Amino acid sequence: MTNLSQCLSDGQGPSKPGLAGDGVDVDKKNLLEMLNPEVNTISYMVSLDAQIKAAGKDWTRIELLRNYAVIFLATFDPVQVRYLGETWLSVLDWTLDTMPQSSSGDLSIIVSAMLRLDPTAGTFTSTHLRFLRTCLERSAPSYALPVLDKNIYAMPTTPPKFMADEFLCDDLELSNVFITPKSGFTRKIVPQYVLEYYLIGAHVYLGLRNYARARLFLEYVVLHPSTQHSISALQVEAYKKWIMVGLLAEGKPYTIPRTHDNAVMKGVRDVARPYDALAENFIKKNLTKYRAEMDVGTQTWHEDGNLRLVKEAESALLKFRVMDLQKTFAALPIGRVAAHVGYPAVTTLQWVTKMIRQRHLRASITPNGSGDAGDAVLRFHHSITSSSAPADSDLAAQTQRIEALVAHVRDADRRLQLTKEYVEYMKRQKKSGPDAADMADQMDLTWESNGAGMMGSAGGVVGLDDDDDADEDIMGGF
Amino acid sequence: MTAQGIAPSPAKRLRQESSRESDHYHLPPPTFDLDVWVNNYEGFPPHLLGALLPLRLAHVAIHCPTLSRQAITLAISHAKKSKDVRVYIRLCDLAGQFGFADLGAPDLGWASKQEEGNKRELSRLEGELRGYKNNLIRESIRMGQEDLATHHLITGGPPPDPATVQSLGGTGYGVAYQAFGKMRDYCTTPTHMASMILRLTYTAILQAVSAQQQGSTARHHLDLVLSNCSRLRTCGVKEEEQVKLNPIAIAMSGIAHLGQANYHDAASAFLSTPIAYNLLGPVHNTDFGRAVASANDLAIYGGLCALATLSRQALIDRVLGGPFRAFLELEPHMRKAISLYTTAKYQACLDLLRRYYSDWSLDVFLGVPASSIGSASHVDVLSAHIREKSITAYFSSFSEVSLASLASTFPPISSSPMAMEEELLSMIDAGQLDARLDVVNGTLVAPRKDLRASTHEEARRAAEEVERTLLLRLHKVNVAMAGLEVPRSKTGVWEGHGQGNGLMY
Repeated sequence: MTNLSQCLSDGQGPSKPGLAGDGVDVDKKNLLEMLNPEVNTISYMVSLDAQIKAAGKDWTRIELLRNYAVIFLATFDPVQVRYLGETWLSVLDWTLDTMPQSSSGDLSIIVSAMLRLDPTAGTFTSTHLRFLRTCLERSAPSYALPVLDKNIYAMPTTPPKFMADEFLCDDLELSNVFITPKSGFTRKIVPQYVLEYYLIGAHVYLGLRNYARARLFLEYVVLHPSTQHSISALQVEAYKKWIMVGLLAEGKPYTIPRTHDNAVMKGVRDVARPYDALAENFIKKNLTKYRAEMDVGTQTWHEDGNLRLVKEAESALLKFRVMDLQKTFAALPIGRVAAHVGYPAVTTLQWVTKMIRQRHLRASITPNGSGDAGDAVLRFHHSITSSSAPADSDLAAQTQRIEALVAHVRDADRRLQLTKEYVEYMKRQKKSGPDAADMADQMDLTWESNGAGMMGSAGGVVGLDDDDDADEDIMGGF
Repeated sequence: MTAQGIAPSPAKRLRQESSRESDHYHLPPPTFDLDVWVNNYEGFPPHLLGALLPLRLAHVAIHCPTLSRQAITLAISHAKKSKDVRVYIRLCDLAGQFGFADLGAPDLGWASKQEEGNKRELSRLEGELRGYKNNLIRESIRMGQEDLATHHLITGGPPPDPATVQSLGGTGYGVAYQAFGKMRDYCTTPTHMASMILRLTYTAILQAVSAQQQGSTARHHLDLVLSNCSRLRTCGVKEEEQVKLNPIAIAMSGIAHLGQANYHDAASAFLSTPIAYNLLGPVHNTDFGRAVASANDLAIYGGLCALATLSRQALIDRVLGGPFRAFLELEPHMRKAISLYTTAKYQACLDLLRRYYSDWSLDVFLGVPASSIGSASHVDVLSAHIREKSITAYFSSFSEVSLASLASTFPPISSSPMAMEEELLSMIDAGQLDARLDVVNGTLVAPRKDLRASTHEEARRAAEEVERTLLLRLHKVNVAMAGLEVPRSKTGVWEGHGQGNGLMY
């Protein structure tokens, strides 16, 4: 393959200056016309790449080549390109570079190309971040969803040398076998790219009110391991948003996952104290104090870019106050709701009506004959009365997702056990004492306290196994 | 009563409170006859270990105006028979505050004579003890120590005087408690130990009652009671002796739990008290049944605690059907209250309890405040528990009950029209009542549970949680494996931007 690519670039290299665009024509036809990108993927790609490089800034040629590039990206053979990742990436990057600012339609081409190469989109690449940024620049974040919705299962890592290479053309289930730092499919990744990707992703989900997914992304960032408890500013930002998402979605901050690093968490919380104060008043459902806190910190929220979130949480607080009422009451006049939330009856009526319409509240309002808003009756319905059919399919889908996830976890586990650090760790463990019994405890400890580095990850294997068990319990529960 | 010189007089303090909460200090007359009642608690021999009786009578006098004159008269005459001069003086003070001028004037001649005699006796006992100690005969030392401690107990201990040596170790009953404790080194047989622990238990209870009456907390003393009770059960005496000790140990620990407002523990202690407690007679010269609490009292304590804390089935199995039944036969109205509850006749049960409210509030263990904050006594708290339980139990058989019918079954305590609603709301908020209120129709509605849907919901939540946790940990492993941890920053500023890897455009 390298030969072919060399041959092509050799053939064109010297002739480029003279021949300009025409040099690649055969029988007056562009070479690309003669090749089928689906079958002759490699030759098509190499030729396209060469022409792209030759085109420089000639806009007419670029326009022409863009069409070829679009065809290529839509139809290439994902197995063949595995051998020439670098060229593939340069074609993709060029397409992104030359994409007209106005149209966002082309963004879907990039998505389909990414998913064509790796249908799981489960190995993080620099393209993930670049694409996400482009989508945001064009104010079309929804185009990024097909990629964002996929979970990242692996980071590109160089496989250990002693392993027998798998054949790239094999039917590989996991994309991290062919997407490695050396494959050319990704540029060098640094930690902040990962953090940025998840943080921007969380923003996108926040915009869509998909709080569950936003929470996951923010937790990725907050729980990102660090060396020697150093904290990234992105983590602080994520933590602030994470608090607010918890308030919006559940009426209280989420509980911090067990695997957090205490020192990091402490540092983050020190910086984000105003948000904790905000949350405290929110939990107490104390509207006046929340408002006071909100007004005092306006500057802070504004600077953090969270002003709208904080404002939204204010109306969420009202919502939760009314929702709390249904724990105590089956029916009550609007007048009492109004007294509870501290608004005039008419406003409360409108606002409760809106909540019912938005399905936050399962209730109905019966107007009273007198026409006075305060006398209208709010009657709460029994909490969960929806038919269980959709729940069944939900659960089935969830089961499938977890099963798929378990496959990836096993793979991560296997990769982890092959790392040099893990082997050394095991060696040390064996030397330090013959009690294999309490080894599990020790591993867990390192996971909890250290959280970073290979030692910590070794413990992670144990942690993941635990989860497998929990997961099986759930399956057993059906 | 030991710190009489310093602390404000209890009656004055209580009187001040009584202006705020008239309830507890103006109880209607009880159903019992005071003279008969007093007979139950006559110490044996009367002058010895009878120190609780004047306190008991003082409690009645303070809380029940109709009986106060009779009670205080009895109390003073009992105190005058004992050697405790300060109790006598204090009771006279109390009588003076109630306006009984004839009783309020203490017999100072008797007091100084008795005081003199006490001092003489004390120095005689101390001298004897020194002699025993010189002779190094353990048994004699033990007995000397016991005599000294008993003397402290019946005279109320040394007065609070910073100049004397004894005050270093405390004053009043505290000295007696310590003196009994000193016997430990000279006990040679388990029986001696048992005897000592019994005395310690009694002293601690006396301290607790005395502290409560003076408005301070009795928690520490009750803890001592508890620890002494558990020592009593494991002191290693012979089987036939242990059989006599166990009822006392269990019953007293129940009283201590009751005093600490651990009603559930108290109930299980009382329920497991052997009926042998009744008519046990003096054990090691101490008749707890007369000095502290009679079997009738235990029936009341146990019955109330059980009613307030146990489920209906447990009441049937363990209280009415268990060994505690024998106690309940002593107090038939308590038995009747419990069986009314178990047969769902809540209204009759609560009425019955209300009828005896006064009797129980006049008891020195039940009538004291249940916590340092608020003035609700144990009887109040227990009654409130029973009422709440009754409402919950009553409601459990309905899917919808109108507030009016609830209010007629359980007449609200206060007269405000919203009283029933407010009580129910607070119960729902506290999580005791699983129901919702329909204010419009004035009904209480039971929640309809869709088990299938809620199980589904639960499973879905759990599954989501598992998925999220798995993803988070996978992320962590991956990041660590690829070496993408947040780097250690030297300057505190992000480094690594624009490393020419094509992402910084």
